[in-house]
Amino acid sequence: MMRPWVRWVPAAAVPAVIATVVVAAPFAAGADSTLPPKSPAEVVALAAGSDELSFTGTVEQTSKLGLPELDLPGSPDRAALTQAIDLLTGTHTARVYLDGPDKARLQVMDELGERDVVRNGNDVWVYTFADNTAVHFTRPEAPEDKGQHDERVAPGEVATPADLAQKFLDAIDPSTEVTVGNDISVAGRPAYTLILAPETSGTLIESVSIAVDGATGLPLGVDITSNSQTESAFSVAFTELALEAPGSERFQPPNGATIQEETLPGHSGALPDYPPATGPEYFSDHDAHPGSVPSGWTISGTGWATVVGIEGRNAASALQGSPLLQAAEAVDGGRLISTALVNVLLTDDGRVFAGSVPLKVLLDVSASSGQ
Amino acid sequence: MSLVPVDGSAGELRASSGWALMASELSVLFRRRRTWAMLLALAAVPVLIAVAVRLSPSEVPPGRGPPFLDRVTQNGLFVAVTALVVSVPLFLPLTIGVVAGDTISGEAGLGTLRYLLVAPAGRVRLLIVKYVGTAAFCLAATLSVVTSGLVIGAALFPVGPVTLLSGDTIEAGESVVRSFLVAGYIMVSLLGLSAIGLFISTLTDVPVGAMAATIVLSVVSQVLNALPQLEWLHPWLFSHYWLGFADLLRQPVSWDSFGDNALLQAGYLAVFGSLAYGRFLTRDILS
Repeated sequence: MMRPWVRWVPAAAVPAVIATVVVAAPFAAGADSTLPPKSPAEVVALAAGSDELSFTGTVEQTSKLGLPELDLPGSPDRAALTQAIDLLTGTHTARVYLDGPDKARLQVMDELGERDVVRNGNDVWVYTFADNTAVHFTRPEAPEDKGQHDERVAPGEVATPADLAQKFLDAIDPSTEVTVGNDISVAGRPAYTLILAPETSGTLIESVSIAVDGATGLPLGVDITSNSQTESAFSVAFTELALEAPGSERFQPPNGATIQEETLPGHSGALPDYPPATGPEYFSDHDAHPGSVPSGWTISGTGWATVVGIEGRNAASALQGSPLLQAAEAVDGGRLISTALVNVLLTDDGRVFAGSVPLKVLLDVSASSGQ
Repeated sequence: MSLVPVDGSAGELRASSGWALMASELSVLFRRRRTWAMLLALAAVPVLIAVAVRLSPSEVPPGRGPPFLDRVTQNGLFVAVTALVVSVPLFLPLTIGVVAGDTISGEAGLGTLRYLLVAPAGRVRLLIVKYVGTAAFCLAATLSVVTSGLVIGAALFPVGPVTLLSGDTIEAGESVVRSFLVAGYIMVSLLGLSAIGLFISTLTDVPVGAMAATIVLSVVSQVLNALPQLEWLHPWLFSHYWLGFADLLRQPVSWDSFGDNALLQAGYLAVFGSLAYGRFLTRDILS
């Protein structure tokens, strides 16, 4: 006859085995780094030469921007903005299919729903399962943009690590300190870590690390840390990646879907339909040079401490009734939407100032440009 | 069962008595009026949904009510999926809790546990048989929702090619296959809860207590899963992937959550299975 305590051995052993596996697994996975050493400039060049790839992958994006959980109303006219804000909170997973420069499909996998962006040349379909709508955007021909990433992506899109990394790489200037960190493994591929750190202390951003695939130079992940918190404020990285062209079929909107036709404006300088979001999209303005500033926009400061000001009637009306205002707190001279990476100041006279800078800088800029 | 054949080896006898025990357990389970009542109640969920949508004078606006509800009028095959979304959080765990909580404590409460153990089946075998019976009920429960949903949907609404979450369209035949895949996913999802119920059932002689405790745990797990402050805990909750069956309705099918879910449920089965083993084999059976 077995002693009674022997019967309890499995009950003790099973959790112990599970705990061991869970603790040991990450160490086993990250034990390979045999990339030849490279200088920061070489890694930047490697990443720059990675255009025009075809791949199939899964991307996970995590935002801890400190945005409060918003009670987002489901009114249709705000749907695009609501989605944009939703994408800046919590964790999202998306599948990305890229076939050459102008065919792409992105599937943002929501719980019990999905948002799809399908691009085929100048046709872009945005399908949202939740409300069964398909929006058909037609892009104007833009030959002068050759080689430059088109920022006017359809609303509600998750940036792939490559898109986002490209924006940062384009924006490297003397105010940025570029170093190469330890090699890491992203989606099972060994990668260089390129660390971009602002030399100024007048910004909320502590550093941006970009994982650059050792073999192809494709940016596999971007991680942004803030001065105000220890965990990363925003990160997007591949969890799976296969460097093979997806089998792409033409997207047909399903029967019964509500279909809207829209034409994306060219780079005419009009205020975008959707206010610039407080997050990664903001950084697309980092490299804005004065020649391309839309009317009513002002740029002050340089590099990481750039402040964008929007004046005139559009600025106030664009945010009117926006759920973002729920997140605003009252400060001297206006209201502040504060996140880990970006501060947005809405002044009482209807102007908007945004930048990765402390509130005091925004107040100074608003005071000096107001008179 | 009481006669030991002289020429039969003990191993053969144990094996055959195991299958006999399994057959008798399944036949007892599925001949109980309570089991049929629960399966019928589950089958009534899609019927209720379909009839309510059919009789409603106005269209369901998109984004209102449970997901997929607004698609029902366009395609009856969505009734099954809608009913699953509605059943997963409460109705299914409720019925699983009743069956799993009753496994051992029910026999103890009736005073039949002693007699079951007098037969040369052994306690381990009885635990396994009881667990397999619960798993069979999980399968029957999800199938009853899906089948009834497909039938009532096809009867009341037009049936045609189905739009997946991705906006791609598949033929009606393939969508039926996907519906049964979803049923399989949900059956797997419930295996962890079944193991928890089995363990709780070994703790007590009062079946109602074990049932209630199992059901309460399933609710607690879902509440915890909804709290953003506990995000680190979420991947460890047995209900975490319950609604992940939607990944089977994408194009192409995403198997990630299916694999994660199966692994998680296997972990729960291992932990609570071994706890039930420890408890059931060391306790004194008095009733």
